[in-house]
Formats: sequence, structure tokens, C-alpha cells
Amino acid sequence: MAIMLSLQEVTKIYPGAEHIKAVDSLSFDLEEGEICTLVGPSGCGKTTAMKMINRLIPMTSGKILIDDQNISRMDTIELRRNIGYVIQNIGLFPNMTIAENIATIPKLKGWDHDRITEKVESLLEIVNLPAEEFMERYPKELSGGQQQRIGVARGMAADPPIMLMDEPFGAVDPINREHLQNEFLKIQEKVRKTIVFVTHDIDEAIKMGDKICLLKDGSLIQFDSPEKMLTEPANDFVRDFLGGDRTLKRLNLLQLKSAMRPDPPVIMQEESPEKAKTMLTELEAENLIVVDQERLLIGYVDRDALTKMADTVGKVTLSTEAFLPATSSLKDGLSEIFTHDELGYLIVVEEDKKVVGILKEEDIKNILRK
Amino acid sequence: METRVFYPFIKKIIPVVVTIIIVLWLYIAYGALEYSFNNLAEFFRLTLEHFFLVIVSMTAAVSIGVSLGTIITRKGFDRFGPAIMAMVNVWQSVPSLGVIALAYGFLPIIGLSGIGVIPGLIALFFHAVAPIVRNTYAGIQGVSEDVIEAATGMGMTQKQILFKIELSNALPVIMGGIRTATAIIVGTAPLAFLIGGGGLGFWIFTGIALMDMGIMMAGAVPVALIAMLFDYTLARLEKIIISKGIQAEEYQEV
Repeated sequence: MAIMLSLQEVTKIYPGAEHIKAVDSLSFDLEEGEICTLVGPSGCGKTTAMKMINRLIPMTSGKILIDDQNISRMDTIELRRNIGYVIQNIGLFPNMTIAENIATIPKLKGWDHDRITEKVESLLEIVNLPAEEFMERYPKELSGGQQQRIGVARGMAADPPIMLMDEPFGAVDPINREHLQNEFLKIQEKVRKTIVFVTHDIDEAIKMGDKICLLKDGSLIQFDSPEKMLTEPANDFVRDFLGGDRTLKRLNLLQLKSAMRPDPPVIMQEESPEKAKTMLTELEAENLIVVDQERLLIGYVDRDALTKMADTVGKVTLSTEAFLPATSSLKDGLSEIFTHDELGYLIVVEEDKKVVGILKEEDIKNILRK
Repeated sequence: METRVFYPFIKKIIPVVVTIIIVLWLYIAYGALEYSFNNLAEFFRLTLEHFFLVIVSMTAAVSIGVSLGTIITRKGFDRFGPAIMAMVNVWQSVPSLGVIALAYGFLPIIGLSGIGVIPGLIALFFHAVAPIVRNTYAGIQGVSEDVIEAATGMGMTQKQILFKIELSNALPVIMGGIRTATAIIVGTAPLAFLIGGGGLGFWIFTGIALMDMGIMMAGAVPVALIAMLFDYTLARLEKIIISKGIQAEEYQEV
């Protein structure tokens, strides 16, 4: 992957406060399609660092390259039009309709009318607001969450390769925030923008970031993937900032497929109960997962069920709720193990319910110890 | 549903109709209608003069007021903002008659005549420009910082931000200032007669001097109707030029 954004020794000293470096020779590279979360205590310089990228704040020294081009040699207006910008308080234009808000930059770039309409409609679809219902409405008629989605859509309108997001979900209530975060990650899977995302919330930084850039007093403390930061914090400050539960935080980050055991004990529903009994003895297992010919999940059988008279396993199969998609987080997996404990483990399936593995409590322990 | 249709009817239309009936009754009862008919040519001349005073001073006040109010919000000029606003506020507290008297007394000092149409226009202009400057300044200052930050960060130029964002969103407040200014001008215009500015003030003051209610009403009633006409026109104009996204609920109702 190509480096899309590169900060090199970027420093900011505000006039009148010469002894303080608001940002102190910050350097990091970001690959195309990555989200980098800038996080740290308030006053650490994260917002200043972000605003130097679209030159809302001029840097004192250093170099910022976008796609290998030095931004200080670009026209400011042109630079900003090619960088999506989303802020905490959204700042939708109250005098314009939703469609006009989203179309602002495409219009200034001189796109033709049809292309703009098409773009607005597709963006509204991406952020899950039906175009015909929302295009002609005004910002004041929308809820906070809806406005924030329009803010994100507006930021993406001119297809900028890079987006800057300043605590975009900071003003939304916790339930809506989680929803918007998940939705945004789904959007990101489709659009693959290179994103600099400022937040003061370490959980959000871990959840949203492919890379986390942890700042303190203007200096870079650690720049790593969330997993690396959680397992190998650079120093005590990072450890404290991540919190005492940093091991548990990894649960959110890891997916079931990284911890599951492949080769689950399955039996086809057409098999005889005798074969099932033999398998149980051979595997020294309490139960077997029953599947169809496509290996799609039907249910399970245990010894009790097999004592009933039947000619196939399928007829004595018990249903179960103890399954989750392989892409679910380990946190959800752990919760599900405790909720549905009839099997003593969790069945891991693909989207179509094809059985791919099982997950036991000790598998989670093992992966967290790594 | 029924109350929704009925409510604005009671709230707006009835009071307006009642006012107009009272005014017309005064007009006819005191013989003002008859007097105007007998002096039709003079009636048209005075009315035209009156419109001229109002429209010319209004146009000047709007163009200069909005420009000045905008300039003092711009970088580099914004330090003059508070000083100019203080001046404007003091200026606005001077009563109408005082403004006319000041024009009469002050203009000769700078070598201009204190008598005639020009001093009348100058007085009206200075009286009306204050609320327009004030509201333009306040309206632009009132546009949310977040909106400006978003616009700047997205790559709008200063000029685009001023016209597409700041002035557009300040328009309800600016129009409020323009309506206040219009009310002031229409109300002060008859006084312009006192310094030779012409207009319907001629009949009003003649009527008062002769203690003839008919002549006075022949001037006063058209002045009142002109005031209503301007206010109504501006209210309609607001509905057309102010975006529905920022219109007060009241305007969307009917």
C-alpha cells in the first residue's frame, strides 16, 4: 500500500507562547485507506495537529505530504476541497437544504448538475437516509444523529482521498454514538478513505483506528496498531491512558475467528443415532453439532436426546441459540458463552450459518495471555 | 385542522381590516377625501414627493448600512466594530424631530444648505442607517462559529463564505433592521416638510396650523397607508428571499 499522508517533524508554536510547543516534531505515515485516531488528554495538540493538515492552522516548521506532494506548495482552497472535513458540532449550513449542503463542494468544483444529483443520492444511501425523504429538508428538521450523518456525507461529497474528522461523534449520546461508529466503519469498508480521526475517548480510538497516534503535551508517545498498543504499551503513561482494563479492551478488537478452534464436532442430520453415540464416545464429547449437507447449522444432539427412538439424528436434534458470526468481537462471544451455556461452548458460523468452528472460554483466556 | 385555518385569520386578517376601516372612516368623516379630490394635482405631487423621500433615503440607507455593517465584521476592520456600534446606538436614540433639526443646523456648517430636499434626504438617511448597520453587524456575528469553521475547512473562499453563508444566514436579522428603518423613515418623512423637503407633511402641518382636521387627515391617512404598504411589501419580500431553513415558524404558518 502506498503512503497517502506523511507528517514529517511537524511543529507548531503559537505566537505569544514561544516556550510551549503545541505540537512537537510529530512524524507519522499513513497508508491509503487507513484510519488513524489522534488521541490524548486535552491540550495534547491532537486537534492542532489535525488542523495543520488542511492548513486551518499554519505549521511553524516541518513538512506534510499528501500523496508525495508538499501541502505548503498547494493552493489552500484547492487543498481543502480535496480533504473531507467533519467537525464535532457538524456545522451544517442552516440556510441550505440537505442536498445543497452535501453538494456545496462539488458545485464549487464545477461538477455538472446530473453528476451532483447522482452523488448526493448515493451518499444519502450510504449514510442510510432515504434520498427522496431527506434531500429537500433543512438541517433544523433533522435529529442530532441524522445531522451528523449528513455532516459525514458532506465531507465525502467531492470524493476526497483524505478525510479529517474532529471528534465527529463527540456530541452524540452514547447509544447513538456506538451506532454511528459501527455505521461509519461499514461505510469505510466501502469507501476506503484515508482518515485522521481526533478523539479524546480511548475506547473510540481503539475501535475506530487502524493506527492510534497517542499524544501528550504535543509529543508523540506511541504510534501503533490498537492491538500492538494494548499488548505492548510503550511506557507507563500509555499503560495508564489505556486503563487498567486494557486486556479486556482487546476483547473488543479481536474477532471470534482469531480465537476459535477449527474442525468442530459435527454430524450430518441424515446419520443414524448409533453413529452419533459412537462419535460422542470417540471424541469424549458431551454433544455434537448437527448440520445439513451444506454444513449449515441445524442444532445439536447430546446423549439424552440420542436415547429417544429415531432413525436419523435430524429427528432428535435440539435447537440452540449459542452461535455467532466469525466476524463478531470476542467481547460479544464471551457474553454469548455466558448467556447460552447449554453446549459449554459457542458455535462459530459464517454469515449464511455455515459452521466453521467452536469457541470455548479457555480459548479466550489463551489468546488474551499472548 | 379547522383551528389551523381559522387561527391566522383571527390573528392577522381581522386586526388589519379593522385598522383600515377606522383609518378610512376618519378620512371620509373629516372631509379629507373631499379635500384631496378638490386638490387632486397637489395630492399626486405630494404623494410622489413623499415616495421619493422614502425610497431614495431607504435605498441609500440599505446599501450603505449593509455594507458598513458587513465591513466591520471583516478581519482587520473588526476592531472598529464596537466603536461604530456604540456610535450607531447613540445615534439611534436621537428622536426624529431632533435628527431633522440637526440636519438643519449642521449642514450649513459644512457649507451646504439646511433647507430643501437634500437636507431632508440626508436627515432621513442618517436616521434609518443605524438599525441597518446594527442588525447587519449582529446578524453576521450571530452566525455560528461551527458553520464558519466547516465552510472554511471544506475549502470555501472568504468571499463565498460571506455571500453564501454569512449574509444568507444573517438575512432574517438584517431584514428586521430594514423593516425597523423603513418604519422610522416613513414615520419621519412628514417632518422633512419642516426643512423644506416637501411630501405629505405639507398637508399635515398646514392642517395643524389652520386647525383644519380635514387637511390634516388628507396628509396623515395616506402617510399611514404608505407605512402599511411598505411594511407589507417587506414582509412578503422576507418570505421570498429568506431560506425556509432559517425562517421563523411564524412565517411558515400561513
